[in-house]
Amino acid sequence: MLRYYFMLGLRSLRRNPALTALMVLTLAIGVAASVSTLTILHVMSGNPLPHKNGRMFVPLLDNGPLAGYTPGEELRDNQVSYRDAVNFQNSKMGERRSVMYSIAGTIEPQNKNLDPFGLQGIAAYRDFFPMFETPFLYGQPWSEADDTAGADVIVLSRKLAEKLYGNSNPVGQRMSLMGFQFQVTGVLDTWDPVPRIHNIASGGAFGSEDGYFIPFTSAIRHQVTNDGHMSCSGDREPGYQGTLDSECTWLQFWFEMASDGQRGELQNYLDSYAQEQRKLGRLKRNAPNQLFSISEWLQYLHVVGNDNKLSAWLAFGFLALCLVNTIGLLLAKFSVRASEVGIRRALGAARADIFRQFLIETTVIGLVGGVLGLLLAFGALALIGMQSKQLTVAAHMDWVMLTMTFVISVAAAILAGLLPTWRACQVTPAIQLKSQ
Amino acid sequence: MLRMQNLSKVYRTHMIETHALRGFEIHVKQGEFVTVTGPSGSGKTSFLNIAGLLEEFTDGEFILDGVNVKGMNDNARSRLRNEKLGFIFQGFNLIPDLSLFDNVDVPLRYRGFNSAERRERIEDALAKVGLASRMKHYPAELSGGQQQRVAIARALAGSPKLLLADEPTGNLDTQMARGVMELLEEINAQGTTILMVTHDPELALRSPRNVHIIDGQVSDLVHKGPSLVAGQHKAGSNAATA
Repeated sequence: MLRYYFMLGLRSLRRNPALTALMVLTLAIGVAASVSTLTILHVMSGNPLPHKNGRMFVPLLDNGPLAGYTPGEELRDNQVSYRDAVNFQNSKMGERRSVMYSIAGTIEPQNKNLDPFGLQGIAAYRDFFPMFETPFLYGQPWSEADDTAGADVIVLSRKLAEKLYGNSNPVGQRMSLMGFQFQVTGVLDTWDPVPRIHNIASGGAFGSEDGYFIPFTSAIRHQVTNDGHMSCSGDREPGYQGTLDSECTWLQFWFEMASDGQRGELQNYLDSYAQEQRKLGRLKRNAPNQLFSISEWLQYLHVVGNDNKLSAWLAFGFLALCLVNTIGLLLAKFSVRASEVGIRRALGAARADIFRQFLIETTVIGLVGGVLGLLLAFGALALIGMQSKQLTVAAHMDWVMLTMTFVISVAAAILAGLLPTWRACQVTPAIQLKSQ
Repeated sequence: MLRMQNLSKVYRTHMIETHALRGFEIHVKQGEFVTVTGPSGSGKTSFLNIAGLLEEFTDGEFILDGVNVKGMNDNARSRLRNEKLGFIFQGFNLIPDLSLFDNVDVPLRYRGFNSAERRERIEDALAKVGLASRMKHYPAELSGGQQQRVAIARALAGSPKLLLADEPTGNLDTQMARGVMELLEEINAQGTTILMVTHDPELALRSPRNVHIIDGQVSDLVHKGPSLVAGQHKAGSNAATA
């Protein structure tokens, strides 16, 4: 019977094309508006590593001076100092750990047809790659020995490798970066997590792919400056060493524990580390030492702004308005079908049969509205993407949102169809049959 | 086939009560062709609607083919209606955007027949009313008489025991009306019980048994001999209680 009702639903779409088109369009516009804003919200708040949410953590300490500090004051920082980062790195806590910071430098291609160009990259430890599950097209990360030695080795992004070496495997090749010769150990396949959780605090949640990766120790050895944000509330000596010795925060740090449930262990370590540093005369504020899981980190850094949330609410309000309109249109459409209901009832249809038939008919409208809504949502996302670079990255639809579009559309149609369908079931067949 | 005893139907609004049927008694036997006549507002339609399980009655007893319908829920009434009854209306009541085939298919769908059986029944029913060649046509492409034949085919397709006809010739000219009446008599001759409401005294006279309703009660019973279509009724079929 479901197939029969579905066929009747399709036929019914043709019965009154203008009314049907109006209903489908109303539904599609509402769905497109809500899905496109929801897509942006979904992508912005998405966790690229949801399976590691319980075991990857960002540590934060309050390195600020005592002057002007009120106990209980909320921590406003989002990075760590060089001294803390190096201590964390040497702590052997967790399965993996890596400090990182954004760098920028000039690349001088061997290919003389290419002019030197500047590009941003990341300085990190080798653990960075397995921790963030970066896919390798060629080669592998550099070795632990390279980290220890501060070796001049480099992992390229696919885009940069193709620019410099075409489609050939460049592993083992040497290239010039910031005036130093680096040896290529690997090339990443396309890796562009949204949001860019590994570098939100310094480089932003949405941005272009990182061009290359070099060992943190190598970057420090070459005194490569930070290309991201830096927060300095205390005094610092001039020069590069002055920055390293200061309480300025400019590095990001990630721990990855071996399994979920080890947060307490890491918190204990962080607390005892802070205690120890206080004894050494640092961390004067005695503020709580914080750990953030990936989702907590996204929330802490306000990756999804209140205006995005408001847009989503407004879009759903608009969908509700579209639903009310659809209810009105469905009431009109079904009311002219009262005689058909009367006939079907006389021929043996129970109220439940009529209910199923009309509800499936509204589902068909919902499906058609969903397809149109999807097309409109793609258009809307393209338009939204034109507004800013940040939104271009966020304004793309994935399978979850594709499915969500149909679910919202069908659910909205069914919701809108409930009252008209219920009213259709209340038709008194005897009256309808006589009035024909 | 159909027995109503001391049946009443009261329509209530917050202001007034209208007794459409009161103390209504009738017994229609299997294979009978009964015409129902009466002035407007006498209760003919209420009787037909209750007989067709389209309306509930207020009080009394109604046995349809051995089944007491009192207190039945909507699903059970619909199933009984689908299995045992066929309807023919004055206004044909075909669904305009379904082909003749699909119109006749409607009651069979609710009956749960498989595709092959439905097709066979539809083709047989349309052949019986002389419209087998037009099953892909739509109601609007047919004359009134042909539309009524389709309605009859739809009513017959499910092999009902009782055919309820509400002024089936009311919208037809004399010639078409005669054709439809002959078709109904032929169906009755094959064993289907027919209960037909009509305003046409000629048609009432033509049936073997005429029940007259006034003020919601059976006021008169006209017992006649065999149908005008000779030899198609058993003498015993005229026995009735009212």
